[in-house]
Amino acid sequence: MQALDKALAQVGRVVLGKEEQLKLALTCMLANGHLLIEDLPGMGKTTLAHALARVFQLDYRRVQFTSDMLPADILGVSVFDPSTQQFSLREGPVFTQLLLADEINRATPKTQSALLEAMEERQVTLDGVTRPLPAPFFVVATQNPVDQAGTFVLPESQLDRFLMRISLGYPAPDVELELLAGGDLRQQVRELKAVINGEGLMKLAQVVGKIRVTRELLDYVQRLLDATRSDDRFVAGLSPRAGLGLLRAARAWALITGRDYVLPEDVQAVWASVAEHRLSARQGGSVAAISQSLLQSVPVVRR
Amino acid sequence: MARIYQVPSHTRLWLTLAVTFCALPQLLKGPLWQGGLFALVIAIRALVNRQRVALPGRIIRSLLLMGAVALTFYSFGRLYGPEAGVALLVSLFGLKYLEVVSQRDAYVLLVLGFFVCATSLLFSQSPLMFLYVLLCMVLLTACLAGINHSDTRASGLQHLKRAGIIMAQAVPLMLILFVLVPRVAPLWNMQVGNGKARTGMTDSMAPGQISELSESSALAFRVVFDGDMPPPAERYWRGLTLSHFDGRAWQQAIPRGMDEARYLYGGRGPTPDWVDALTAGRGDGTSYAYQVIVEPTQRRWLFAMPVPFVSEGGVSLARDMRLVANNPVSQRQSYQVVSVPAATRRLPLVAEEKALMLSIPDESGRRARGLAQQWRLENPSDAAVVQQALRYFRQQPFHYTLRPPKLVADPIDDFLFRSRKGFCEHYASSFTFLMRAAGIPARVVVGYQGGEQNSLGSHLLVRQYDAHAWSEVWLEGQGWVRVDPTGAVAPERVERGLRAALEERDSGGELSGIQFDGFADSGLLGVMREWADYVDFRWQTWVLGYDSQLQLSVLSKLLGQVTPLRVAITLMVSVALLLGLYGLYLFWRNPAHSQSPLEKEFWRLHQRAQACGLALAPGVTPSQLASTIAERWPRAASPAQDWARYYQRALYDPRQKTRKQQMRHLRGLRNRLYKLLD
Amino acid sequence: MRLPQGPRRLYERWLARRLPAASQIVLNQKRIFIFPTGYGFFYLLVAALLFIGGINYENNLILALSFLMASLFLVAILHTFRNLSALGLRNGTTESGFSGEEGALEVVLFAEQRAHHCVWLRWPGQDAQQVSVMAGEEESLWLNLPLARRGKISAPRLKVESRFPLGLLRAWSYATLDHYCLAWPRPQESEDCPADGGKNNQRAFSSGQPGNEEFQGLRRYVPGDSLRKIDWKGYARGRGLNTKLFEEPVGGRLWLRWDKLEGLGDEQRLSILCHWVLELDRQHQPYGLVLPGLTLAPDTGDVHRWRLLDALACYPEF
Repeated sequence: MQALDKALAQVGRVVLGKEEQLKLALTCMLANGHLLIEDLPGMGKTTLAHALARVFQLDYRRVQFTSDMLPADILGVSVFDPSTQQFSLREGPVFTQLLLADEINRATPKTQSALLEAMEERQVTLDGVTRPLPAPFFVVATQNPVDQAGTFVLPESQLDRFLMRISLGYPAPDVELELLAGGDLRQQVRELKAVINGEGLMKLAQVVGKIRVTRELLDYVQRLLDATRSDDRFVAGLSPRAGLGLLRAARAWALITGRDYVLPEDVQAVWASVAEHRLSARQGGSVAAISQSLLQSVPVVRR
Repeated sequence: MARIYQVPSHTRLWLTLAVTFCALPQLLKGPLWQGGLFALVIAIRALVNRQRVALPGRIIRSLLLMGAVALTFYSFGRLYGPEAGVALLVSLFGLKYLEVVSQRDAYVLLVLGFFVCATSLLFSQSPLMFLYVLLCMVLLTACLAGINHSDTRASGLQHLKRAGIIMAQAVPLMLILFVLVPRVAPLWNMQVGNGKARTGMTDSMAPGQISELSESSALAFRVVFDGDMPPPAERYWRGLTLSHFDGRAWQQAIPRGMDEARYLYGGRGPTPDWVDALTAGRGDGTSYAYQVIVEPTQRRWLFAMPVPFVSEGGVSLARDMRLVANNPVSQRQSYQVVSVPAATRRLPLVAEEKALMLSIPDESGRRARGLAQQWRLENPSDAAVVQQALRYFRQQPFHYTLRPPKLVADPIDDFLFRSRKGFCEHYASSFTFLMRAAGIPARVVVGYQGGEQNSLGSHLLVRQYDAHAWSEVWLEGQGWVRVDPTGAVAPERVERGLRAALEERDSGGELSGIQFDGFADSGLLGVMREWADYVDFRWQTWVLGYDSQLQLSVLSKLLGQVTPLRVAITLMVSVALLLGLYGLYLFWRNPAHSQSPLEKEFWRLHQRAQACGLALAPGVTPSQLASTIAERWPRAASPAQDWARYYQRALYDPRQKTRKQQMRHLRGLRNRLYKLLD
Repeated sequence: MRLPQGPRRLYERWLARRLPAASQIVLNQKRIFIFPTGYGFFYLLVAALLFIGGINYENNLILALSFLMASLFLVAILHTFRNLSALGLRNGTTESGFSGEEGALEVVLFAEQRAHHCVWLRWPGQDAQQVSVMAGEEESLWLNLPLARRGKISAPRLKVESRFPLGLLRAWSYATLDHYCLAWPRPQESEDCPADGGKNNQRAFSSGQPGNEEFQGLRRYVPGDSLRKIDWKGYARGRGLNTKLFEEPVGGRLWLRWDKLEGLGDEQRLSILCHWVLELDRQHQPYGLVLPGLTLAPDTGDVHRWRLLDALACYPEF
């Protein structure tokens, strides 16, 4: 638990003024889920991912997605090895513990789906051989806001693979001032101290599964899911997978908060980042506004 | 399964209560040592339950058993028969309780309990006793629920509540079964007298016997009229005719040379000539149809107005115009009668009978004989002699009293010429003697006169103090004519009953010491007595008297035509309907019901806060609710936070089991919070 | 009561069809059977005796008492049924074990509508366990499961039974949860470590110097390559962007291989692999596993061990 606090403090040193988002990112990692960051370039996405990798001693790779990228560029290729006169497998960048997939929506859907499948399965099959990805394995993907030119919008089914979506947003003025005065970020990231290693993180993720949940809380989660399904302002409601993800994220949030059982507040805290990217509103609606209104109207305690 | 399921501790109290309550009626009635045995058993159990002593071993238990058997034999002289059998059963019940350890033992004990309840009903069938047995059944059911509830955290009261619910659902079902299940004729006959010697009439009449009866207000019988009721002065309920006088007492007698078979007619065999004669008069003048429900007397005679005609079996008509039951009346019994007063004139008086009705012992009543012969000479007709005699009673200073002075020497002369203070039996006796002395056939009739009407049920209640004696004389052309000499002395006795008669001429506190339980008592007590009588009466007619005949008439009213198939279908359909109704109730999914008490707690506070003017979204969490309250009412901040913390733990921490105590604490917190709002 | 073989099999098949397995089961009319207990029959006999007594003594109240007993019995049918109806069962967590030992399954009972008192859970060959679930609450029970063989051991059919409230009737149901316990292979000692990649193929005790990566060569940079592996020096000398290639570390990383145990039976192979998984884990040696159809990269730690053991248990269907 202290490790988590320390980790938050460490990352907070380089990603200034974004405690909430940091906490969510950490929650996502603890819940063993992949993170999607939707933001304009230059908002500190890379710094965040890099800092997380550093703090958790994770093997870190970054892939800049472009429209001419092929699936093999991500997953790996068979390379002819002159010394043995045989083809051997060259693992792609996906064989890492923390993969920063930058501007994922610039890649073609084919490439996108190759990555997303690997994310889901946590293993890669190349030339008929299945190779598990390292554990832990996280993908932090960033995406430009969809209205930008030259992007392939991620379909909803793919978005479902990301446990959470957050956006960092512009820093507050005083924070920005500090940022400007702070100097070389890259250097600072390098100076970050590791708090726990990947294995420790795995153990924590195990603990997340043991965070207790009562029937009443499950009921609440179910009511929320039901509300998205019966609300006709949405095109479609949340899937059962989304429900499981919501619960997992709430558990992780409870763990970070230092509790071994889940409160409705935990569900509400992760609600926006877990639910909103999986929902799409009918014409003229804002998903965020509707989902927040659901949070207001769905009774927490059964009535 | 090899494991022995012990009787859980939360059921012990109910076992003790059930055993005590079930056995109590027998303990009150039976020999004293049984009470002692039960006290001992319950004391030992109490000590065992507190773990002060160990359960008595096999030897002690066998000794107790042998002791109980021996004492039963000592008290009753035998081990079989209803009284002794029940006493033995109850003792076994108590001893079984002593050795209850496992669930199995408790099961056996409870079955014995059902039997003990049934035996209580063998001896008393009052509505109160039945209610008492129902209470015992609730306790027994609570025990059953308790021994099947092996959770240690169960509370005893829960079992009683559950038993109450199950019982409340079972009773309507029982009523359906009671009404619809066909009554079968007894497989073999068993009659149990309730063994109580009741006050009532004996089959002879000596001075002082009826006045003893008049001290009792016990019920003798009830009469329900179909149609008109006769006026009070006509309500003479004949029980016995006494024709033989031995100088002191009057006794029943059959005329010499007449055999009993010819004297009684039970509806079978050739009809005797006197029955034909009476039956011919059935259409004469007014008739009264009524039902008599008689209390047990242990005697065969029944009560009716003259001339009684009955149609049902088990009751015979006697030549002296009375009804006789074929078996002694050992339980409440009812019979339907049509009385035709005018038919009496049809009955002939044969020579043997006339001889009996004129016989008087030679040595008694010498002066009375003289007086009678004098009247005979003065008057030409028998009717005039009767009038003369009545005039005599009216004009001479005769006194109607419950406490007549003792008669010495010759009772007839002593009464007629010296004391002149007497009760109805004195008047009837001396009047009959005078008539016989004057050559008019006469006899004494004992029975009851009058009766009090219950305004609720409009039936007539005849009590022991309504016992009366009067005379009948045989007049040519009129047959047997009733003459009540008491009426000549105290007309109120006939018109308004004993109480009025004594009050009218109260001579020195005669009323004291006599219990009049009539309804005429002013005030609440009278009303309550009237109600009690009404309930008892209805109980008698509808519950105890619900036999195959009544069932048939009820069913034919319900179903029209009564066939076994129809009855079976009705029975099944109504049972199924009722069970279906219960099922609907029991399995009803009430959404409000699924809300746990804990969840209700939240909404109570939510509502209250809203009522106090707080705008709250439904999606507010407990701690958000608390902080909203804290913002609005800063002084409520800390109790609100306390509440939220406690509530959250209770609702969302799975390790926090919500028990009663927690609920109470939470409620306390909320109530404290309430005071700080507004 | 034991049915003969034939009818029993028919009965079992009928039950399996009527009550299919599911991960969550809520007991309902279709699933609940009800029948009087021995005591229930005894009770009815007593009621019948009282009925005969009432008839013979012509005592309507004793008759009424016998009717009351019968009515109590009828009402008890509803109450007994109700105590079991709407009781929910679902899968909880499991505890795996080596075959031949015992695993455990957690069964969670939940009461959504009403309390369920004194419910007995029993599965073949085990003492029954009693549990009461209050309305709106959950209770969980651990049931031991003997692991007779390696693989997925499914939960046997569970008998749920209750005699509450009066003990006159017994309501029961069978619940088959599609729940299973993984039985890891029973470790079998063997001298030879069926591993590749260790310094010593005979007995895999490496010097234990991890990360001794050997530089192998360069290739053209491909987007997505780790920036750390780019030959920055060469880039600075104008040789273009190249990625340094490294050989797999040879020293400590061991690959336990299925193919190394040629000629042995499947189970024996798995047992030997299992033994070495445990052995290498004890020595904190990074190790991987290659099974036909599954490759698990070398690593250490509890989670890794469990993953491998589970893979061994599941073979050949992962």
